[in-house]
Amino acid sequence: MSLMTGPRKNVTQRAAGPVIAPRHRSRLRRAVKWAFLVPAGAYVLFAFAIPIIYNIVLSFEQTSPATISHFTAPFAGLSNYTTTLKDPIADSAIVRTFSFTVLSLLLQFLIGFSLALLFNLRFPLRRFARSLILVPWLLPFLVTGTIFKFLFQLQAGAVNQILIDLHIIHQPIGYLLSPGWAYVTLLITNVWLGVPFFTVLLYSALQDVPAELLEAARIDGAGPWQRLTRVTLPIIRPVIEVVFVLGFVFTVKVFDIVIGLTQGGPANSTQLIATWAYNLTFQNFEFGQGAALNTVLLLIALVAAPLYIWLNRETLRGEYL
Amino acid sequence: MRPKTRRRLVAAAASIAALVALVFLLFPLYAVLVASFETNSQLFGASTYSFFPSVWTLSNYSTVLSQQGGHVVSSLIIAVGTTVLTLAIAVPAAHALARYRFRVTALLVGSLLIAQILPSIVIANSMFLVYHRLHLLNSYTGLIIADASYAVPFGILVLRAFMLGLPGDVIAAARVDGASEWQAFARVVLPMSRSAIITVALFAFLNGWGDFIFALTLLNGNTFEPVTLSIYTYLGEFSQNWGQAMALAVFAVLPAAMLLIAAQRYIAAGLTVGSVKG
Repeated sequence: MSLMTGPRKNVTQRAAGPVIAPRHRSRLRRAVKWAFLVPAGAYVLFAFAIPIIYNIVLSFEQTSPATISHFTAPFAGLSNYTTTLKDPIADSAIVRTFSFTVLSLLLQFLIGFSLALLFNLRFPLRRFARSLILVPWLLPFLVTGTIFKFLFQLQAGAVNQILIDLHIIHQPIGYLLSPGWAYVTLLITNVWLGVPFFTVLLYSALQDVPAELLEAARIDGAGPWQRLTRVTLPIIRPVIEVVFVLGFVFTVKVFDIVIGLTQGGPANSTQLIATWAYNLTFQNFEFGQGAALNTVLLLIALVAAPLYIWLNRETLRGEYL
Repeated sequence: MRPKTRRRLVAAAASIAALVALVFLLFPLYAVLVASFETNSQLFGASTYSFFPSVWTLSNYSTVLSQQGGHVVSSLIIAVGTTVLTLAIAVPAAHALARYRFRVTALLVGSLLIAQILPSIVIANSMFLVYHRLHLLNSYTGLIIADASYAVPFGILVLRAFMLGLPGDVIAAARVDGASEWQAFARVVLPMSRSAIITVALFAFLNGWGDFIFALTLLNGNTFEPVTLSIYTYLGEFSQNWGQAMALAVFAVLPAAMLLIAAQRYIAAGLTVGSVKG
């Protein structure tokens, strides 16, 4: 605040003050402007641009453990792509990544939106519950995967115990031992993890729906369902779009929870593109093939880019001070 | 009278529904906490799962503290380093992108949005080879640089949105008063952006703390490892030693949880002010 009162007095002083050659000053000013951006520029180059470009280069190279020490390896044409994509494990990982993403987003949206509607009602526990719902967000994703591995274990597992106590099942199920169940468990884990994100964003959107509009619709005879579909949903649509795009971006790159929960097993039944690319590179040391599959993942993730940028178009324009 | 009883019924039903939802969301954490106080024979040798064990033990914690204390310290170094690096990069960049008119502003902001989308495993794959050549594998420096990739684009975008909302005449007045561009940034913009900076710092800390991909790919475990990696290797080596693994998981969750509870005020402040542009 002291800074704010100071400057006003000096406005006249400055007009009479010494003048530095304007051209020199503007060049200096431009240099200062750019100086603020230098660390970020260097970082983006080193941590994003170079790895991405190098990954694409690698995907066209004939790599081997011997070439790790060199930056270049013999040109391989498309062979990394053909080898990788002919592999049934990679194919099913790609299909699985799609189904996993679609199912995750649908379930996260349905549960998240229901919870957002719930918290939008007035009830005593509301504030307390709303702050606690964030908790799954706090956990490192690998820890989440590990916790669910513990909950879903065959012997003395909590989930089996609950279902047996409720007489829903009679024999414990080996969730992480059968391919189908392992996929379902992975899906449940990811939904659990993502619901808070959907709930929080959709809840804040619901808060912005004008109460008068809902009241007017009610007076006009609209029931709760009609008010939801004809008033609320159209108003919060922009937020729904943002949530789905962000959710897509998060879900296609899911890695930690798979490693923590199943490591891609049993029999590669829970491999996603990201985990299989990791296997190719860091378990089989096929850097070229890993890079080829990573490029596929990159292309899939970038499908969201135009949409994401369009949703942020206001940010791009940005008003200046 | 009628609408009132109806409202009460709705409130009661909503409370019950919220309670059920919370049980689903919080039970896993309860299970972790309980398991961390149980012996392995209770957890794995038993044929049934007990929701509230009759015998509690601290042995998991004493084992984990003596064996894994160093990993907690490593995680702290990584998280603090990630926070410092993120702020050092993001704060000045956000200031420049908010205050000055660059011909390339839209391009730069657009590439930051794309950087947020890039999957970490794609970066880790080729970063491993680059680091191998630069001798950055198994180093805090290398891992911190990689871990900052989560928060740098987010940080620049959030801080820029916040700074666009700052009153421009205050900065202009400081300049008129004779402050240099740098002084105007350090003495006016920085203090006014405090809440947004804390938000970004928290985000960066949690990302550095929770990172697993880069620790898994850029470290071989012989020099140091963060808690996330040690939970993973721990379960790999002693595959059913759940009690100790869960005690370690409590350590992995605790600092992040404490930080978020202590600083919740700043997060709320930072996010609200950030979204309401001046």
